Amino acid sequence: MLAEPADDQQGDREREIGSCARIADMQSFRLESPRMLAVDISGDTIRAATGSMVAYTGQVQFKHAGMGGGDGLLAGLKRRATGESLSMMACSGTGTVWFAKDAMDVIIIELAGDTLKAESEQLLALSDKLTTDVAFAGLRGMSSGQGLFTTSVTGYGTVALLSAGGPPIALEVTPQYPLVVDKDAYIASRGQLNQTVVTDVSWRNLIGESSGEAFSLRFDGHGVVYIQPEER
Amino acid sequence: MSDGVPPAPLNPSTLPDNDNVPGNHYAYCVKLDGQLFMQTGRMIAYYPAPHSQGIRFEPLTTANLTGMVAARFSAPLYTRDWVVATGSGHLILGDRGYDINSYDLTDGNLTIRAANLLAFDASLELKQSIVPGFLTLIGTGKFLASSSGPVIFAEPPIRVDPDALVGWADCPSPSHHYDANWMQGFLGAAMGFFGQNSGEERQFDFTGAGTVLLQSSEKAVADPQLLRQLEGQVQTLSVPSLQQLQRTIQQRLAGQQH
Repeated sequence: MLAEPADDQQGDREREIGSCARIADMQSFRLESPRMLAVDISGDTIRAATGSMVAYTGQVQFKHAGMGGGDGLLAGLKRRATGESLSMMACSGTGTVWFAKDAMDVIIIELAGDTLKAESEQLLALSDKLTTDVAFAGLRGMSSGQGLFTTSVTGYGTVALLSAGGPPIALEVTPQYPLVVDKDAYIASRGQLNQTVVTDVSWRNLIGESSGEAFSLRFDGHGVVYIQPEER
Repeated sequence: MSDGVPPAPLNPSTLPDNDNVPGNHYAYCVKLDGQLFMQTGRMIAYYPAPHSQGIRFEPLTTANLTGMVAARFSAPLYTRDWVVATGSGHLILGDRGYDINSYDLTDGNLTIRAANLLAFDASLELKQSIVPGFLTLIGTGKFLASSSGPVIFAEPPIRVDPDALVGWADCPSPSHHYDANWMQGFLGAAMGFFGQNSGEERQFDFTGAGTVLLQSSEKAVADPQLLRQLEGQVQTLSVPSLQQLQRTIQQRLAGQQH
């Protein structure tokens, strides 16, 4: 469903798709405030970041989704090997659950069979028909950090993502307009994107406040990249 | 935004030239064409201009920059926290979730808390202020400052809370209104000692004609350079002063343990 290039109506289209999906889907993701997500569940299961529940009504059980963040042993082993950690809990039952994390802004993205790549730390909640896996995001030339593996979310359903430091910014990538993003500001991306590591930003490893990784992510192709105003 | 729907995607033709990203006080888009001094690590994204060399971020010590840097950036304490962005394209800056605003300086001077200064045109000249922790910009050009909440402009005569002070322009005689002696006051500023204990013993005093910039929160923007600066200051102290400093630190540490 995503975005031919230079499609200014993208936002409107997502809105429409979103409302359709909400009617079809029993799980309803909505925002109580810009920084709090509310989800109505009725006899089914959603997955949410561990510890992000702030309140609930009704009969809801919370349990740790397991080593793979609810994706079974293989994904779990991959996560362990790659260091892309995903700590999720399964919430099932009937009622309404409110989620929030560190007062970060929340955005809700509907997926219609396509794939969203997201930084696992920025995932707040997923509806149960979505599957997650570890996606290789580029050559790993540096030490530690978030690693160059991201979490991929695929299927039909709703994803809630977190944005630190303010509302998220959506940036369009087209062949005419490639984009470079600070790895620590990256939240998620979708579309036919080719992701490469740019290491010309050599100043990040100067002694400073954050002796972070000295590279950025470059995106070519067609798609949308979501970033946040604060570096992790 | 409150419905959680992702914002409409922006691209270089829809991004503003030198303004905040639409609907976002916490991100700012610079239309770069030339050189910009900026704090390290504040770039969150950029679109290189088509058919251009892209944008490079270089430390101030880079060989082909040294002449320009020496002429424009006389703040040795801060050199390793700043880089020069060179090239053309749209450059998006974010500063730890603080509000970002741009200001124009026309043949003027403005002194700003170092942690609040995010970026400035290479047409401006930067100097280390004689007030510790502050930097002075001189000349004509644009600069970006971050603040905890929106910035308020005030006119002297005024006394302001140190934590709320972002900077001042053209004031002929900014002075410090301390109840204690200089060193205690300085340590207080460094450690939030007075600020945390009882609040308002210490203010900055502005007189004369000019403008004072205040932020609407007393939560000062975190300044990672402060410790380094204090260490630099310690070298100028005499032995009795050092002993007093040691006693102050010990008292403060003892107080922390409860």
